[in-house]
Amino acid sequence: MQVTFKDVTLSYDGKRDILKHLNFVIQEGSLVCLLGPSGGGKSTTLMLISGLLAPTHGQIYFGDTDVTKEDALGRKVGMVFQNYALYPHLTVQKNIEFPLKMAGLSRADRAKKAHELAALVHVDDQLDKKPGELSGGQQQRVAIARALAKEPSILLLDEPLSNLDARLRIEMREEIRRIQRETGVTTVFVTHDQDEAMHISDQIMVLHDGHIQQFSTPKTLYASPDNLFVAQFIGEPVINSVPASALSHDLAGVVSDDILSRAQTAGIRPEALTLPQRALDPLTTLHGKVIEFDQFGRESTAKLDYNDLQLISTEMGQLPHNTQELDFTLEKKGFFLFDADGKRIFGGDDHAE
Amino acid sequence: MLNEKPTVKSTIKGWLYLLPMLVITITFNIYPIIKSFLMSFYTKYDFYNDIVSAYGFSNFTYLWNDPDFHLAVRNTLVFVIGVVPLNIIISLAIALLLNKIKFLAGAFRTIYFLPFVTSTVAIAQVWNWIYHSDYGLLNYLLGLVGVNPINWLNDPKWAMPALIIMSIWKGLGFNIVLFLVGLNNINTRYYQAAEIDGANAWRQFTNVTLPLLSPITFLVTVNGVIGSFKVFDEIFALFQGSSGPSKSALTIVYYLYEKFYTEWKYGIAAASGVVLFFLILFVTLIQLWYSRKHVHY
Ligand SMILES: Nc1ncnc2c1ncn2[C@@H]1O[C@H](COP(=O)(O)OP(=O)(O)OP(=O)(O)O)[C@@H](O)[C@H]1O
Ligand SMILES: [Mg+2]
Repeated sequence: MQVTFKDVTLSYDGKRDILKHLNFVIQEGSLVCLLGPSGGGKSTTLMLISGLLAPTHGQIYFGDTDVTKEDALGRKVGMVFQNYALYPHLTVQKNIEFPLKMAGLSRADRAKKAHELAALVHVDDQLDKKPGELSGGQQQRVAIARALAKEPSILLLDEPLSNLDARLRIEMREEIRRIQRETGVTTVFVTHDQDEAMHISDQIMVLHDGHIQQFSTPKTLYASPDNLFVAQFIGEPVINSVPASALSHDLAGVVSDDILSRAQTAGIRPEALTLPQRALDPLTTLHGKVIEFDQFGRESTAKLDYNDLQLISTEMGQLPHNTQELDFTLEKKGFFLFDADGKRIFGGDDHAE
Repeated sequence: MLNEKPTVKSTIKGWLYLLPMLVITITFNIYPIIKSFLMSFYTKYDFYNDIVSAYGFSNFTYLWNDPDFHLAVRNTLVFVIGVVPLNIIISLAIALLLNKIKFLAGAFRTIYFLPFVTSTVAIAQVWNWIYHSDYGLLNYLLGLVGVNPINWLNDPKWAMPALIIMSIWKGLGFNIVLFLVGLNNINTRYYQAAEIDGANAWRQFTNVTLPLLSPITFLVTVNGVIGSFKVFDEIFALFQGSSGPSKSALTIVYYLYEKFYTEWKYGIAAASGVVLFFLILFVTLIQLWYSRKHVHY
């Protein structure tokens, strides 16, 4: 089911708006990740989609139907809560069966379905336990099974993998992706983990400060962040952000004067700083000193000093030992300029402008 | 440490912590219980000199054959069955309503708690007036809907209902407060999950509220059953020192009281106490057994 928000504003207390004039369309059958810092309104957005919260202003549509006035009972979405919210008095099996029981399925059908789902999320050996006897990760998986049980047309997941170990996390996210592809259920997935978001989503919505900072494919989000916040939020290690004025000398002639004069901050992805001999699409060459060089497994980071500013590069693996000073290349890809409002004015997809 | 094994030292330490409590409990609870058990077997007792010259079961055979005692047991059971379920249902209903209107809950909590902290005698005085056959509020209200005045306190048929109504009312406050605490402790996320799962308000009540409230309900029930089995002062105050018209409100404890203080038949009084003890024990065990399956902690 396609989900549309039209100018949705939400305030819990009537004074402070948590979400401000949200407009977006989540395409039918897609998997969208909500990404953003803590307190950014991700859970709140999910609650609005589910119908547990009603918007203060604006409309919500499922397909062409206005569901703004309908409560959660009427919207029939599946949801995994941030804190699982498994019924503590019911066994795992009864928890998974609960939505089916409400839907009026027979006992035998319920049990059959519950066993299938439990197997899917690997909790089939825990069916007779109560939630209190499960680990956090097991509870999370039971919650996923319960949300899937009623075969919803929209599935909402609020940080469903946050309590799993690294390996299980990857396994489960692939599993969620597989289930999503198989069933074609429109899925909204909240996560703190940008790596997770990058790997499984069709589109990512970055929420901060009550606004959508950017809503695009993972690739676009990384390659052409709309603003400084997104550029800084996405990417590991974090993008180098330095005053644009520090680079103006080296950028003169490469970037138009008009843009340079408006630019306030420059963003340089750590992989956009390379050794000249390995450069692919160089923008310009910079000169600096090496402060520190660390090698971790197959990754390396170099701390460089450029005009008394510290820059981090991940592409200096070939750096000769004991190098003190060097010329290094600034690549086109991964270099952005932002104006005083934080809006991107150079770099990324439309850097021809 | 959560999984510490008990050692001699830690055991002694544990008992030392318990000591003050144990001394008080043994002196004022355990000893009297043992004493009254023993007393129920006194068949010849010189209470001026505290000399027992014979032991036996005759006190119990007396009870077995005493129609007054049969009446007392019957009345007590009627009272328990009349008070406890209604009390629980009404206090739960009121607690649910109060829980919905949060801003009133504070004020109402105090109001409903008043009966609990007010002396039974004062309450009974008020109810004496409410039940008055000529000037009583209750008969006035019944008169409005066309019911003939009832002689609540002097008609043997109505004395027990009058007692039950007053006792239900008196017990409401405490139970409402307990239920409110219980309701407050149920996390709203369970209701949200249930709503998402397709449970309407009624099914949320039966599938979330009732099971998650069951420990409180159990507490309230056990407490109510035990308290009702021991009913005495309400009767004493409401019927002004009698067991109601034609003993219609004679309960086991009232029977015990009469045997002890007015007839000085200590052995029989003690024996009726022992019977009451086992009656309560039996009912409580049934409740415990039931709770194993139906109470979710
Ligand atoms: N029930 C509530 N009443 C009042 N304010 C709330 C309530 N729930 C959330 N908020 C506020 O709304 C804002 C957004 O909260 P929300 O839970 O949506 O954030 P989030 O993005 O899910 O954060 P996290 O990543 O920590 O889960 C926060 O500032 C929070 O204080
Ligand atoms: Mg959240």
